[in-house]
Amino acid sequence: MIKKIKTNKALYFMLLPCVAYTFLFSYYPLTGWIMAFQNFKPARGYKGSEFVGLAQFKFLFTDIEFWRSFRNTLAMSLLNLVFSFLFAIVFALLLNEIKNKKFKSITQTVSYLPHFLSWIIVCSLVQTMLSTGSDGVVNNLLMALHIIKEPILFLGEQKLFWWVTTFASVWKETGWNSIIYIAAITGIDQELYEAAELDGAGRFGKMWHVTLPGIRSTIVVLLIMNLGWALNAVFEIPYILGGGLLTDVSQTIDLFVLNYGMKIGNYSLATAAGIFKSVISLILVFGTNRIANKLGENSLM
Amino acid sequence: MKKKKLLATLLTATLAFSLTACGGVAEENTAETVVEKAETTTETAEEAQPEAVENKVVDGITSYGGLTAMADADDPITFTYFLRDSGVAPSEDNPFINKIQELTGVTLKYEYLVGDLDQKLGVMMAGGDYPDLIFAGDSATKLMSEGALIPLEDYLPNYPNLWAMYKDTIEEQKQEDGHVYQLEMYAYLNNDGITSAPPIFEAGIGFFVQKAVLEWAGYPEIKTLDQYFDVIEGYLAENPTIDGVATRGFEILNDGWRNWGLINEPQCLMGASNDGAMFVDTTKTPYESSFYQISEEAHTFYKKLNEEYNKGVINAECLTENYDQYIANITSGSVLGFFDQRWNFQQGESLLKNDGKYERTYVAVPVTAPGVTDGYVDGSNGLPTGSNGVGISINCKNPERVLAYFDWLLQREVQDYLRWGVEGTDWNYTDGNSDRVLTDEAREIRRDTAKARDLTGNELAKYTPGWWGLYQDGCAANTDQSAAEYLAQQTEYDQAFLEAYNIQYPAELLSPPTVRPAYYPIWAMNLGDGSEASVVNEKITDLCVKSFSRMVLAKDETEYENLWSTFLTDFDALNTDALKDEVDRQIAAKMGW
Repeated sequence: MIKKIKTNKALYFMLLPCVAYTFLFSYYPLTGWIMAFQNFKPARGYKGSEFVGLAQFKFLFTDIEFWRSFRNTLAMSLLNLVFSFLFAIVFALLLNEIKNKKFKSITQTVSYLPHFLSWIIVCSLVQTMLSTGSDGVVNNLLMALHIIKEPILFLGEQKLFWWVTTFASVWKETGWNSIIYIAAITGIDQELYEAAELDGAGRFGKMWHVTLPGIRSTIVVLLIMNLGWALNAVFEIPYILGGGLLTDVSQTIDLFVLNYGMKIGNYSLATAAGIFKSVISLILVFGTNRIANKLGENSLM
Repeated sequence: MKKKKLLATLLTATLAFSLTACGGVAEENTAETVVEKAETTTETAEEAQPEAVENKVVDGITSYGGLTAMADADDPITFTYFLRDSGVAPSEDNPFINKIQELTGVTLKYEYLVGDLDQKLGVMMAGGDYPDLIFAGDSATKLMSEGALIPLEDYLPNYPNLWAMYKDTIEEQKQEDGHVYQLEMYAYLNNDGITSAPPIFEAGIGFFVQKAVLEWAGYPEIKTLDQYFDVIEGYLAENPTIDGVATRGFEILNDGWRNWGLINEPQCLMGASNDGAMFVDTTKTPYESSFYQISEEAHTFYKKLNEEYNKGVINAECLTENYDQYIANITSGSVLGFFDQRWNFQQGESLLKNDGKYERTYVAVPVTAPGVTDGYVDGSNGLPTGSNGVGISINCKNPERVLAYFDWLLQREVQDYLRWGVEGTDWNYTDGNSDRVLTDEAREIRRDTAKARDLTGNELAKYTPGWWGLYQDGCAANTDQSAAEYLAQQTEYDQAFLEAYNIQYPAELLSPPTVRPAYYPIWAMNLGDGSEASVVNEKITDLCVKSFSRMVLAKDETEYENLWSTFLTDFDALNTDALKDEVDRQIAAKMGW
């Protein structure tokens, strides 16, 4: 072992900054977790704050609002994950089939432009489009088509809110998310397509039997990585468009932490909720990794 | 020094006269040169003996020579200053603020609020990263319990003007730990006869209605919810659009912390003003607190709103709109009524005034539950609110310099300069020098938010301690406290409106101001960071916001009643006693029971 290190001295030396960086910014801050077991007051510091054991967690787990926030976070994240994957992959596959190069690149560029808009702008757009007034495009369209008789208050309907968040982020991110698949698709050996053609595969046959299996490992890796982020994925839309009428379906764990932690100066509660979120995220990542292993795919760990 | 100045002037005058007597262009030039020279001599004389400036006390206010430089003016210093308001910093060319900077050497660098105040303060506290000065509004209590502000009571007696302003209420300004942490900026404080309480012209809170609606209805007296909505319905039916925009009968603002348009009305219907999370019955001793959220008045009120929604008077969309959209709606002139606080919709109203749509501006009417006397207008009790003060943080570079600066600003000359401007160009005395009015140009400038910010001293006066009310000579400290100026601002339309009701000020539509007891208001109480009471307070707000908005949108009476009983069950499930006990305890402590 030591010998190995000696022979690869230069490599280990180069690794050092990264290790230090990771330690400093990813592990050292974890010492702050001690706050979750205290009644932390910044003025008194870690040492002076009262130790309360699991009281903060008890408060969280007995609070119905917290479980509701957990449900909302999970639901919105999963919807978001599923639909953004689906749309990005299908979009990449279809884009790949376009023969006209110029048209293809224009479509691609246009599709990922919304990614560069900030959420506050996207949310205003959504708000205007879904409004019941004269500039509510969606309501006007639905009424012109005689699908509905009266305008729907989209942003006041509890059961619609999750779909609003999902499709807002699908609209914003599809183009961007598909870039990586398009790159993976270009990496597929052209001979495979020729072979498939000889075997009599049509366009959809090639898509199904060549392209999709070709990008399967990319999909799995991205899925695992995104699952780790899933609980952090939705914040802006519920923050901007939720609340009020929609609190029951729009409050996420992050918003709960803001309201009951930061806003009333209860940092310990905020930390406890943060730890809970990290644990759930870890479970999700390891779970997917396991499944991916079982399916015989390359896994991350 | 005065004598020297006089001498110089006399000398100049004599010289000038003797020279002009000879006549000719050349001589005139010489005269000017002489005048210039004489002035230079005067200045040198001033510089040579700065200690000759004596502090005089006029009507209780110490003057350090008015608009003359402070001793350490040539040692510039910049203080960072966090403000709980969102806004835009005044232009760097602002003549008034620049002049003060020049004379004091002190620059205040404003950091305006972006986003949510409590979150911002939370982040500030978590990192211990405080600016020099902090105006945190009613969230300042958090900073105090965090030890972020320095106690001021030992400093204050060293500064004559600050001491004159705060000494009579110093006990009331003390927090429970016995320290004073902030200097009140927006309240008339009892003092040694330097100023008296300002008159109240307009209600700060209430059910507002467009003047045009009252005009249309023949200037009726409006006392109940039914009367209020009757005139709105009537006007709405006849005017489905105003200036091409669909008319909105009653708007409810419910955006984040600006939620009082939805949840605060019941306490006002019960006769309170803007007390906070609970209703306090002050007719009993000791006072009895109760939750107005679950009162019969609340039940009736939201039922009424629900009826109005089903009649189309309330547009459901307003419940999902944000503050900017709300202001935009008001600015369009198409909103007939709402429940709000004046400062919150003022910018919308001033745009209406700029457009000359005076009939679209608003007036508050005394709507209450049957048999209740309204208590909308707060009379000044001369006590600090505890929620509108500037505090000096523990990170402040030089607290003494800040206090000396504030003390200097409190000179009558400086206050008049910042708030009114220069006599003759910006304002003039009315008959008998007992009040003042702005000149038309100065008034125009103050009407325009951007110009008022960039061309007057308002933005500095607004965020520093200042005198409040009427000085001994009858002049108002601030332009909005002057009766002469208020009446001068009224347009013909407004005057006709007031005449129709036979009143002098709009506030006279409501009951006379109520002088509040010392505990008032509940919303400014420090419930303790992360305490059970503050958690419950937050939960009550969340529950009310979501339940009441759903009740407004109920399809029919059955659904409404179901929602109401669910709300009551949810409300009972909260540990409301934790909040009530804490509020009762603090009321008793403040009242000395």
